[in-house]
Amino acid sequence: MRLLLIEDNARLGSLVRDGLIPQCFAVDWVETVEDAELAMKVATYDLLLVDLGLPDGDGLDIVRRSRRDKNATPILVLTARGGLDDRVTGLDAGADDYLVKPFQIPELAARCRALLRRPGASLGTQLAAGNVVLDCASRSADVGGVAIDATPREINLLEVLLRRAGHVVAKPALENTLYAMDAEVTPNALEAAVSRLRKRLTAAGADVQVRTVHGVGYALFAPSVSGE
Amino acid sequence: MDAVRPRRRPPTLFRQIAARLAAFTLLFAALDVGIVVFTYSRQPESLAQELLTLEATKAQAGGVLSPDLLTGPPGAESWSARYVEPGSPELRRVGETGIDGASTLVDWTRREQTPRGYRISGVRAIDRGEERRWLAMQFEGDGIRPYVPVIVNEIIQHVMLPLIPLSLLLLLFNVFAVRRVLQPLRHAEREVDALEPDNTLLRLSEPSEPREVNTLVSAVNRALGRLDAAMATLREFTANAAHELRTPLSIMQLSLDRLPAGKQRDELQADARHLTRLVEQMLDLAQADALALDGHVAIDIADIGRDVVAAMAPKVFAAQRDLRFESFGDTAAIGHPEAIFRIYRNLIDNALSHAPGVTPIDVSAGPGPQLTVRDYGPGIAEVDLPHVFDRFWRKDRRSSTGAGLGLGIVQRLTEAHGGTVSVENATGGGASFRVRLEV
Repeated sequence: MRLLLIEDNARLGSLVRDGLIPQCFAVDWVETVEDAELAMKVATYDLLLVDLGLPDGDGLDIVRRSRRDKNATPILVLTARGGLDDRVTGLDAGADDYLVKPFQIPELAARCRALLRRPGASLGTQLAAGNVVLDCASRSADVGGVAIDATPREINLLEVLLRRAGHVVAKPALENTLYAMDAEVTPNALEAAVSRLRKRLTAAGADVQVRTVHGVGYALFAPSVSGE
Repeated sequence: MDAVRPRRRPPTLFRQIAARLAAFTLLFAALDVGIVVFTYSRQPESLAQELLTLEATKAQAGGVLSPDLLTGPPGAESWSARYVEPGSPELRRVGETGIDGASTLVDWTRREQTPRGYRISGVRAIDRGEERRWLAMQFEGDGIRPYVPVIVNEIIQHVMLPLIPLSLLLLLFNVFAVRRVLQPLRHAEREVDALEPDNTLLRLSEPSEPREVNTLVSAVNRALGRLDAAMATLREFTANAAHELRTPLSIMQLSLDRLPAGKQRDELQADARHLTRLVEQMLDLAQADALALDGHVAIDIADIGRDVVAAMAPKVFAAQRDLRFESFGDTAAIGHPEAIFRIYRNLIDNALSHAPGVTPIDVSAGPGPQLTVRDYGPGIAEVDLPHVFDRFWRKDRRSSTGAGLGLGIVQRLTEAHGGTVSVENATGGGASFRVRLEV
């Protein structure tokens, strides 16, 4: 995975780069808007990490220009601006996620992976969390290398949860995947489907956890993220 | 916003003007009296003339046609009054003063010096119906005393009678004028009362006249402009401070992570986290204080609640605790979405740090524009209830879980929405915070 880090603070830039490399990311680091644009011309990146306050311009301009050029590369904004309206401004400009400083490397890496797991993004074809791996192309899942027997509906649920691993997925988003199966959706169809998926994963010895967030949705936690 | 008025109200402009006018009237009257007295004392002949006229008026007004009943001026000696016929010697004495003919009937007065003082004599015509009679009067006197009634009469006639109606008229005119002049001031007062610190762009409308009010109002507007600039500077400072502090904090945290593992690193990391939290809360509070709520839009409190719960669930689950959300419907409101998000987040953070162990946290929205966050901890002691929203207040001062600003931020953000925040000990244990927004 190749990342472009645009950060003008020399120490922070080197710390982020050195922190991400052990997480299996290749990181190119530039300090100005001009250098960033040069880098994007000569190389293709899977993800942009953009600091907002740069010496020769605003990082949001990179985001806007990139979106105007129909560039679909996921963008994660790293910023010291934590004002009430800053997050909305950043997301409105076309950023995919927004991380306010100070942050820690594991969180940054998790967010990067979440963006890369999106459909169409670089990690979008094979999703993994803990010992669970799902191949989006063949619509099959395995736990610790052993294939599990799951219905297409459960595979779809697992895919959505894996793409957002570590994050809560709202019920409507999950229900949409059931509707997409043309199945009859009863009020507790989602609960039933999640319950079956959970049992199947547990039976196969998966180390991930599918947790219920009452009134909101469900979240899949890999063992390292759940903090145990 | 409530206009706070002092209990003892200062005097109105009208009262001040009325009091000054009354004082001036009195001063003027005194001056007038002085002038009257001075003028007459220089002209004893005029006084004598007025004195006899006054006596004759008494005779006529009282219908006293018998001159014996007239008592004369006070202190007069050898007072005599009687009617005389035309052609009598008294009348003829007119001739001696140079006015022609016994048949010419006129009033006259004569003042003569005597060894003991003066003697005044004269004749006045008295009309009663068609009948005209002539009253001849004479007396001797000394000093000013006989003249007192005349002087009093003169003061009433020439000072009191003209001054009182004039003063009343002036007063009336002043009431009217003051009302009119103060009208633009009252208008400005209403506008100033309507000013909110959140809406700093509002200005008072400047009246074209009077110029004094116009200059005052435009001075107020200039002051509002300076306040506006100061608020903008504060907001700018907050943004700059955020940037300046957050980047070195990031560097510090990431550098600490690279130190060799050990007790010292763990302690430093905990210190750095505490420092980070403190800085973030102070910046949050500064932002909340400077929050310009012109960004109010239609929001759904339940939707924001779900977002917050979704965002915080990983953190709460990591602490081996459960986070639950429930909506009671009817949750549409007007507000600032990110501010509402932070209200929820700070309340959940508060529950996380104050309810111990593995107790769950319940978040709810509605019914109506309100939200609650309830924990299952020990609740809040009666003595602590008044302090929980105080800035930098912590139940246990040695606790290092936060800066004690979270609930202050909640309160400020709620106030910026015109809402209220309250806390109570829930039945079944735990503290329940409730935020109600303005309907």
